Amino acid sequence: MIKKLLSAAAMFGLVASMSASQPALADFPERNIQNIFPWGPGSAMAVSQIIAEAMGEELDVNISVVSTPGAAGVKAFKTAMNKPADGYTLIDGYVAPLVLQPLLGNADWTHKDFIPLHAATANAFAIVSRRDETRWKDLDGLIDYMKKNPGKLRYSTGSRGNLPHMVLAKVMQSADVVARNVPYNKNGDAIKDLHGGVLDFMFHNPGHYKANKEKSKPLAVLSDNADASAIYDGAPLVGDLGYDIGLKGLSPTGWNWWLVRKDTPPEVVAKLRDAMAKTLARDDVRQKILNVGFVPTGYTSDQYDDVISKVRDDLSSAIDALQWEKDKLKSVR
Amino acid sequence: MIFETILSGASLFFSLDAILLTMFGCFMGIIIGVLPGLGPLMGLILMLPVAFYLPPVTAMGMLIAIFVGGSCGGAVSAILLRIPGTPLAAATLLDGYPMARNGRAGDAIGLAISASAVGGVLGGLVLIFFAPLLAELALKFAPPEYFALAITGLISIAVVSHEGMIKGFITGTLGLLLATVGTDPFSNAYRFTFDNHNLLSGFHIVAVVVGLFALSEMVMQIELGQLTKRPNVQKISVSLRSLGLLLRHRINLVRSSMIGTFFGSLPGAGGVISAFTAYAVAKSRPLDEKEIYGQGAEGGVVATESANNACCGGAMIPTLALAVPGDASTAVLMGALLLLGFQPGPDLFENNLDVAGGIFWAYLSANVFLFFIGILLAPVFVSVLRIQKMYLVPMILLLSVIGTYALQSSVFDLWVMLGFGVIGCVLRKLDYPIAPVVIGIILGPICENNFRRSLILSDDGAWIFWDRPIAASILAINVLVILWTLISHVRKKDAS
Repeated sequence: MIKKLLSAAAMFGLVASMSASQPALADFPERNIQNIFPWGPGSAMAVSQIIAEAMGEELDVNISVVSTPGAAGVKAFKTAMNKPADGYTLIDGYVAPLVLQPLLGNADWTHKDFIPLHAATANAFAIVSRRDETRWKDLDGLIDYMKKNPGKLRYSTGSRGNLPHMVLAKVMQSADVVARNVPYNKNGDAIKDLHGGVLDFMFHNPGHYKANKEKSKPLAVLSDNADASAIYDGAPLVGDLGYDIGLKGLSPTGWNWWLVRKDTPPEVVAKLRDAMAKTLARDDVRQKILNVGFVPTGYTSDQYDDVISKVRDDLSSAIDALQWEKDKLKSVR
Repeated sequence: MIFETILSGASLFFSLDAILLTMFGCFMGIIIGVLPGLGPLMGLILMLPVAFYLPPVTAMGMLIAIFVGGSCGGAVSAILLRIPGTPLAAATLLDGYPMARNGRAGDAIGLAISASAVGGVLGGLVLIFFAPLLAELALKFAPPEYFALAITGLISIAVVSHEGMIKGFITGTLGLLLATVGTDPFSNAYRFTFDNHNLLSGFHIVAVVVGLFALSEMVMQIELGQLTKRPNVQKISVSLRSLGLLLRHRINLVRSSMIGTFFGSLPGAGGVISAFTAYAVAKSRPLDEKEIYGQGAEGGVVATESANNACCGGAMIPTLALAVPGDASTAVLMGALLLLGFQPGPDLFENNLDVAGGIFWAYLSANVFLFFIGILLAPVFVSVLRIQKMYLVPMILLLSVIGTYALQSSVFDLWVMLGFGVIGCVLRKLDYPIAPVVIGIILGPICENNFRRSLILSDDGAWIFWDRPIAASILAINVLVILWTLISHVRKKDAS
């Protein structure tokens, strides 16, 4: 009987894999499309759902956003890369799995292994502490406090080794101060612990900040884009405060491109690209994205290589900040 | 402020569209919850695109009703078939299934539905009147307190293991070990993934639950034979009588609802811990000496189901008040609110009081509808028991496969389900309890991560657990419970 069950399961697997490997047809799309999203539900997923919903209207099919968290986005990429290159699987290409994880040696691809459809959004990060914090008033005050109490403060960037972690480590490296990074599976739990007094400071993205304005005070925006300051109610840019983190443009911010596998048929890519461009040009879509605190970046597919290569170069020169943080913490203990 | 919120929300919620769609959501939720593998989260994801086209409170009403209905629906299959439709219902089968086997399927379902509805309403009232207070309390729960609570949850293994405490701890430990598979969030190292990307985030809990319970149960049913025999099941009508039954357990009901609300209000603690903890507490205080837990005690069903659904209301508290979702389902609800143009958190109460009030009404109404729709549907569900096994078994296997595949469109999850089906069969053959495996897998990461997080946060090592009064108190109670359990175990042994 067990044998029968095993054969039935094997048969099911065979049928599933056969149906998944059918070639793309001329009148693409004929069925629903999946967007493999690398994080859990939250504001970033809501933004991808806004784009997916509108792009689905352009293509006249449903595009579902499938949350596939794990290993800083690597699981989502590997899952998508194991699906057929027929355009029915899109990859929500966030900077962490697309650029940072390969740089850290956790993934064996480069951005050239994917075809871009269109850049989606960007979101600048900020360093925040509690509104009722009395130990410091601004970033300079925080840095002074860290100098007097090396390795004593506790901060979080959600998971470890992600882009916010690298950028915050870079800020600390530039000021030669250090604090303890506490990893959390969900950013929301870290925000709760910041407000509960367990953490001393942390990073916020615009979605976090919009939801927690009453309790979170931005000390510095981790971007060189003056528009990003407005999202955080006029908080100063980190560069204007005299801290050189060596990261420009998109490099210190979170962003995503929607991608497909390299060997996807060109006519399918063209159709998806056109639909995504139309979607992101729509005022209603842009407004919805802005309402969540994210900004459509507007880069087109022909800018992909330039933009990502520059980010990659920037990040590879900044990546030593993570190791520096580890070493520095050891030395102050 | 509270009454202003309720009054302003009433005008938004009490429209024909909103009420009908809340009822529809409740119906959909129950059906989705009944099917093995498909829980409230899947229901929310499926219906989210529809919500885009609805007015905000109507959309949230429908989604919240799916959340409420789905959290209760899993109990139906747990009671009738010994298959929890969702992991939330894993504790319900401990007494729900024996009740059905004793010919009280109708009572068990009636109790489960009414306990869910009343528990949900109690959780909703706490949500409305004490959300700011509980949100402040949640802020006092940091990693050391979560670790202490996870230990409390693990202790419940001793209570739910009717096959023997030691056996329970063995299978619980198996669950804890299985929970270590995946990416370690502290070092980003891959643990026991064997170069398989599907294992990077560990085993999917739903695939595990469906395998352990549904597959093993189907194998057991096939082994029992009588595949073509038409079961002789009396016609059962479930009525308001179940409310009368429920009232006998009013203390258990209120206590379990408060346990559910409390655990729900702590982001990440979750419904499964609340159900098992409420069950453990109820078992330690039975209604009378005739109520024997594990053999069809009504109190077991009341405790787990009221805690489950009260937990939904509790989980809405940090979601709405702090913008910190209590679990994956409330994270989708929070995303829906964002998509509809509203910012959860203090901002919602500051700028959109009417929407917050509408959500409160939607939650309360969903629980009331749950009771009536559940009672109406109960005879339909019970009629499943009349289906011959030769039809029922393939149907359940097919639904299990579809439900598990739908989680992540992953064939690998089917293999996980199959593997755990085999483990479930072996454990049951050897008379080992399987519920502790689920407790171990769910509590393992909570326990490990919060322990390690606490040590990073601490300036003086493990003393952080004693420096914080709430964590120290919970741990001290845990030690006392363990000692008390051991002493009574030894005394029982001596007496026998």
